[in-house]
Amino acid sequence: MNATDRMEAVADARERLLARAKREGLAAVGYDVLDSPVGPLWVAIGPQGVAAIHFGPEPSEAELRRLVRVFGPGIVPDRKRTSGLCRELDQYFEGRRQTFEIPVDLRGLTPFQLRVLRATSRLPYGEVATYASIAKRAGNDRASRATGAAVGSNPIPIVVPCHRVIASDGTLGGYGGGLEVKRRLLALERAQVPPGGWPKRGQSATMAG
Amino acid sequence: MDAVREAARTFGELLERHEREIFAYALRLTGARPDAEDLYQETFLAAFRGWPPPRQDNERAWLYRIATNKAIDGARKRRATVSVEDLRLAAPERDGVTIIDLANAIRVLPAGQRAAFVLRAVEGRPYREIAGALDCSEEAARTRVSDAMKKVRAAVR
Repeated sequence: MNATDRMEAVADARERLLARAKREGLAAVGYDVLDSPVGPLWVAIGPQGVAAIHFGPEPSEAELRRLVRVFGPGIVPDRKRTSGLCRELDQYFEGRRQTFEIPVDLRGLTPFQLRVLRATSRLPYGEVATYASIAKRAGNDRASRATGAAVGSNPIPIVVPCHRVIASDGTLGGYGGGLEVKRRLLALERAQVPPGGWPKRGQSATMAG
Repeated sequence: MDAVREAARTFGELLERHEREIFAYALRLTGARPDAEDLYQETFLAAFRGWPPPRQDNERAWLYRIATNKAIDGARKRRATVSVEDLRLAAPERDGVTIIDLANAIRVLPAGQRAAFVLRAVEGRPYREIAGALDCSEEAARTRVSDAMKKVRAAVR
């Protein structure tokens, strides 16, 4: 009981501290961990909007380094700031939301990465496109490999729906959260991915199934 | 264990690692929850503003020193109201020291000696760490602890 009371006291004190730190511009980014049907998600909100979504309860080393480089060390737990994103994600996972309204904060990315992610964002719910077609839409149809890398560096998966980008041979390609998660997101959007991935080019769906 | 651990890279990591013990320390120094919350807040705000920790220092020692200095500065402004109920939240971690001893220490000791007493008698820190928190030599830390203990024992009698 003592330990619980002390934790509550610390939580109260922390909330006031963080409100003050935010007012003083010492806390650029607020994060939280949410439960989702694809496991825990570490999410972070920057000054302008969603800055990171990471599959797992903690950001990867590379992701944390990127956030510190872009936003500084003021990265703090903040349930209040992440609540809007959490609500939209919950609705998405319940199948009640097809597009995200919450603003994003993608500072620190290169102009090419931004073009690729913008093209990715325009993919409609439930549809898929190949890396090559995203490369074309991003204005550089010969940079398919670089496009793949740019899609792969998407710091805010789900909100920027990089799970809708698949390989030219019809296989799923890669995914930061793992292919099983990609498959589940596509299934959720009724893209009806057959078990074992999309049929290979030139094969019929029945042969692949 | 803390020494071998990599330094915190974000304010969030700094809080996750140290806020509980800094809050307990603040409560043991002030004797009442509202004052402890203020001290906790001042300590971490100063740490955020002064980030990163000085290189020769580990972050924990740095936080303890900030908290101790803030407690000494704040003691002049604060009224020493001690709540035994609040102190239960930071019950002493060592045998032979009771909440009443701690309450007495808060009542009779000036802030610097109180920090010495809390660090040694309540938290059982090595003198090297106490010297770091009080920003003095180990020898001076020993003297302050021993003076503080004498005063507390005299007050109990």
